[in-house]
Amino acid sequence: MTELEKKTIKIAEVTRVEGHSAVHVEITDGQVTDVKMEVTEGKRFFERMLLGHQFSEMPHLTSRICAICSAGHVLAAIHSVERASGITVSETTRLFRLLMQMGMFIESHATHIYALALPDFVGAQDVADLATRFQAKFIEWTKLRSLGAAIQTTVGGRPFHPVNLHVGGLSHYPSVAQLEPLLAQLKEYQQIAVDLCELLLGFAPPVRRTTDPCYMALIPPDGEYGYMGDRVKASDGWEDSIDNYKEYLGEKVLPYSHAKQSNARGKSLMVGSLARLALFGDRLGRMAKPLYEKSPIASGDTNTIWNNLAQALELVDAIEQSIAIIGKLKSTPYQIDLHDPRKQSIKAGSATGATECPRGTLYHHFVLDDSGKIMEADIVTPTAQNVGRMEVDIREVVQQAKDPTAAEVRDHLETLLRAYDPCNTCATHMVSISYR
Amino acid sequence: MTERGKSLPTIALEELAGCAGELLVILENLDQLLPFARVLRFRFGQSRNDTGPVDISFVEGSVSQPHDLETLKLIRQRSKMVIAVGNCAVWGCVQGSCAQKYPVPEMLRKVYGDDTHIDSLPSAGIDNYIKVDAKLSGCPINATQLLAVAASALRGHLPYVIQKPVCLECKYKENVCVLVEQGLPCLGPVTAAGCGALCPSLGAACYGCWGVCEAPQIDAMTSTLTDKGYKYEEVRSRLTTFGGSEKLFGRDETSAAGASCITAE
Ligand code: SF4
Ligand code: SF4
Repeated sequence: MTELEKKTIKIAEVTRVEGHSAVHVEITDGQVTDVKMEVTEGKRFFERMLLGHQFSEMPHLTSRICAICSAGHVLAAIHSVERASGITVSETTRLFRLLMQMGMFIESHATHIYALALPDFVGAQDVADLATRFQAKFIEWTKLRSLGAAIQTTVGGRPFHPVNLHVGGLSHYPSVAQLEPLLAQLKEYQQIAVDLCELLLGFAPPVRRTTDPCYMALIPPDGEYGYMGDRVKASDGWEDSIDNYKEYLGEKVLPYSHAKQSNARGKSLMVGSLARLALFGDRLGRMAKPLYEKSPIASGDTNTIWNNLAQALELVDAIEQSIAIIGKLKSTPYQIDLHDPRKQSIKAGSATGATECPRGTLYHHFVLDDSGKIMEADIVTPTAQNVGRMEVDIREVVQQAKDPTAAEVRDHLETLLRAYDPCNTCATHMVSISYR
Repeated sequence: MTERGKSLPTIALEELAGCAGELLVILENLDQLLPFARVLRFRFGQSRNDTGPVDISFVEGSVSQPHDLETLKLIRQRSKMVIAVGNCAVWGCVQGSCAQKYPVPEMLRKVYGDDTHIDSLPSAGIDNYIKVDAKLSGCPINATQLLAVAASALRGHLPYVIQKPVCLECKYKENVCVLVEQGLPCLGPVTAAGCGALCPSLGAACYGCWGVCEAPQIDAMTSTLTDKGYKYEEVRSRLTTFGGSEKLFGRDETSAAGASCITAE
């Protein structure tokens, strides 16, 4: 290059992701000098809104942060309030909650892979194009996401923003007869998810990642693959209790973005399917394990693009786990928990709750007074944790490109960002700060 | 595109600040709409998005920043019909309830620091800013209701949306009343129907996610719940959470506030 050249790449509107975001990259003399992932989604001040409300309202209010992970917010809120008040629930309630979570994973992963990410891989413009030119794929999506929606509707009352899950229990325990049709569909559609993995295994990544991220996820109990836990683990071997999340998750406010950025002990972290598999892939079930073992993820490839495949592997596993959960529910008599908020003994206290969502670890932290009123609230969403790493990825992709301003680079950037399955409504609304 | 494709009415699916729930419901029912409409704009679901004139714009989300307002004005200019979908667009939803209670500049400073330059507007439903032709509430909207509304709108009719209380649907279903029989804090008597009385059908109290019904009897609802031992403060906060206006509290305004959902031309 002979003279000092300044170039910029701007994607004003990242499409086929949830919420609003833009990308801005500056290149001076062949070197990337600035990268900004701007989240421009409007703010909704959730944590402020929660104050003064009753503990029993937390699942329903926080679910409105995000529709596609609404079950995750419900479960994290319940986890936090129950830990704060020392409420325990029966095995039946626990199993129904797990089933709800599997329903969320099936629906969310299917929708992200087929409707938002797959068009890039099969050469379709978008989901409408997929519906016309790749009809078989479109029908597969319809089947899988309807399955996820049916599970969530049976357990939660509707496909998202569930009304049936409460602190302390369920208001209605679905009968075994209601679970039977789900079981039949789960068994019928399992192969679709397996085939999807095979399909995604065959795609070569369009771009490389040059540095490894710090992966982090909840440690599922009992040596199983799963999405609940009270402790977290990172890929550098570090572990801690979720109660200390404020210490290990650093946060900064950025002048250009409505989402705050998190880091893990100073490193740019990545949460979500790829992180969970990199940490706990060897714990997958009978169906997903062999697929995982032959994947680049198992051999240590950390390319972000594999997050799509990681989601497909979790889809297979979630179907297998759902079948097992329904089997347990069928074989043991239900233990019904009271859900009447007036009959629950609420203690003053505070606690952190967390759950793995399709996009990564979600934290809810509440402080309650002795009447069960919320005095402080803090929520950290997966996308807020991933945004820092997205910027590193953007930098690497642009730096590798021969002509950074080529249309192809823009497309690759969008494909890459989409692989994170970013949820900007979450990232923005979950400005993470405690109100007093 | 086929000749027939060209002659179909056009629709745009727009998103302001919300949880994307309505877009998800629309995405999941897209195959039902595609034979009857051409989608010009759907940023959440497609890559090619056209900003030209459109027959019907479905708008999800509330206005929460100046940028949303600019977008909304453009949407109104280019659309023959604007339909607000979801509680956020109709009522401002939970963020609207927050904006009723707390000043936005204070919240901005608390979240982003004292020297923030981020602009924000108090969250509110879109008919506070533009003329809206029809409102379809729900958090999330009900797919059957959406398809019925879309069917009328695609034929050029102003859609009719029921605004009677949830109790009506609850009676149709012959549910046991959780308010009368179990003393649960059900808001069904003042909440707009449309969900099929989902919560009471599962033995839970309605928490008002469809927004208030027409002519809501707020004072009667409040006294019923306080008589059952719920604190006034808690009842009021629950009633305003999903779109009930603080102005509803006070007898005189009660009847005027539950305006009909259809804004006639
Ligand atoms: S349960 Fe609720 S919605 Fe149903 S009739 Fe009673 S008060 Fe109305
Ligand atoms: S019963 Fe009330 S809270 Fe439940 S879904 Fe219907 S409107 Fe929403």
